[in-house]
Amino acid sequence: MTRLDTLRGPAEPLDHNARTIAALAVNPGCDRRALLDAAGVDKQKTAVHVGFPAPFGQSPFAITRAKSFDALVKANGCAHLLRLLRDTLDLSISEASYADISDVGGNDDHHVRHTRTRALLKRAATDGDGAGTLFDHPLLKLTVAGHEVYLEPAVIAFQIEGRFHIVEIKSFAVIDDQADAGQVAAAARQSAVYVHALRALFAAEGLDPERVSHNVVLVCPKDFANHPTATLLDVRQQLAALERQLSRLPRIDRILDELPLGITFDLETQSPDEVSKAVATVDARFAPECLASCEMSLFCRAEARDNGSTDMLGRAARDELGGIESVPAVLGLADGSRLPSTEQLEIAEQLRYVRRIYTEAVA
Amino acid sequence: MEASGIHRFPVGPLIRCGTVELDALEKRIAELRSEIRATKAAGDHATVRTLRAELRTAERAWDDALEPEPEPAKAPLLPVREQVHQALTLLGVPTATKMIVTVNEAFFAGHITTSQLTSLRRDEEKSFRGSPYARPYYLCAALTSELLSPARGLLAVSTWPMQNRIIGPLSPRADFLTSATRIAEHIMRLTGAGEDASPSAYRLLTRMAQNIPGAVDGFDQADPTQVIAAAGAELAVHEESDISHRGEAAQRAERQLNEVTQLFGAGLKTARTA
Repeated sequence: MTRLDTLRGPAEPLDHNARTIAALAVNPGCDRRALLDAAGVDKQKTAVHVGFPAPFGQSPFAITRAKSFDALVKANGCAHLLRLLRDTLDLSISEASYADISDVGGNDDHHVRHTRTRALLKRAATDGDGAGTLFDHPLLKLTVAGHEVYLEPAVIAFQIEGRFHIVEIKSFAVIDDQADAGQVAAAARQSAVYVHALRALFAAEGLDPERVSHNVVLVCPKDFANHPTATLLDVRQQLAALERQLSRLPRIDRILDELPLGITFDLETQSPDEVSKAVATVDARFAPECLASCEMSLFCRAEARDNGSTDMLGRAARDELGGIESVPAVLGLADGSRLPSTEQLEIAEQLRYVRRIYTEAVA
Repeated sequence: MEASGIHRFPVGPLIRCGTVELDALEKRIAELRSEIRATKAAGDHATVRTLRAELRTAERAWDDALEPEPEPAKAPLLPVREQVHQALTLLGVPTATKMIVTVNEAFFAGHITTSQLTSLRRDEEKSFRGSPYARPYYLCAALTSELLSPARGLLAVSTWPMQNRIIGPLSPRADFLTSATRIAEHIMRLTGAGEDASPSAYRLLTRMAQNIPGAVDGFDQADPTQVIAAAGAELAVHEESDISHRGEAAQRAERQLNEVTQLFGAGLKTARTA
């Protein structure tokens, strides 16, 4: 039993998915999220337990819609998908092989599935033509913050002429060849995670990672019908951003070393108070953007408010304030009631200047 | 109080009585009318209201009795497994439950739902384990070619040759093309016999044809002969490799598996029969 298992308690670990990794990469400085995710703690339940249930999560309608569209595209041996790939990427008629890796002989253990994913993809990559075209539900592994996580995919890996592509099926509509920019950006960020993980797998198997294309096939409903259409999406930019963020993520070991021994987030044995205290021992870096992507955000916001932290003013304001961590400190430096330390001299002078302009303006 | 009073009179059972009972109803209506007049004269308004409600019920029953008998065919004539067997026999390949439901609806006017099929395979397996070969056929699993484990979500018929029940890498596509051909052939059989297939049958064929190269032009209704030709052309590309793959796996299955696992699949985990 590792230290992370102790933190989680007896509950089953939650899987990472592209959504969580994309969210993690958006806020790389947050130790709390990195640790909770690495330990596979159910953040939603934890937030409810400590009294800050997040009004956050996918709507059940959206999930049902996404599932039914996904089923439609993959129905009848991926009939729709094959048509789209033949149209957009000139897939030859003879390439129609399909392998489902959502379980291996009725066994859906992660390790078994991952081993099979590797075996199938390696065979497809080395044997050349006819050794596999579509691979549904490949289970990929990714090193996040020095810790290996399985990536439960909602995608298909697809091979054409020795190059592998990620196929991402999304249920937002492409109307008149235009899709919602925000949705496409989110899809691109998530696809980038899969491309990254697939490249990591190729590298681990001694294959050229560049054989995984940076062009992702995005499948969406066309116009107002439920008829799927496909477009190629270049995710090079997202991929570069993701790689940089992942490399900057604090090492989990470093965070663990700083934690007091015997601490746990076990929801069954610990009272809400104890869990809040345990969670509070890990540093968070709250930003207003967290509210859109993290289940713990309301807890962190309340904590930031209690501490009078400058975090809740947003990243831009926090960075402008040059490392002063609390709002009372900022005000104190501005009105001269608090003496600046040597490294605060410059920012203190600027604050006093701003205060002078402000008082003149409102006087 | 008044509402409960209505039911004191035995008109309800007369409703579904058919033409023979019209006389009885008319007699009852005449009786009620005279009764109402008498009660009204006596000034008992509460009873008048009850009687008039009763009269209306009787009159409605009389109207209903004039109508022809409702079609009893709405109730399923065949048990679910028979209906599934019928659809699978038409398609001739291992098929996902959703497709079975669609085919059953389009060609056999059936009303099964996917949720009725979720436990079907497990029930069949239980029955087979209890008394093997007691039924003329079993609805069983299709087997994956590599591990001979049950393929996810597919149903097949036990009387098919083992080779047809194997799912290799190309089989999903080959089976899709085969089922499109079988559906087109069935529509042609129907039209050949002077009947016409239902609009939903054509819709199903068109939907499938849209994913077969050259089977349909744009969003037009698919033409069965064109679909058969196009599906056949693509099938010819996959057939050889698919059949050799399936044949090899079928031999292996017959060699390695016992009679239960030959039908319901082997797995890395023991069959989920709990």
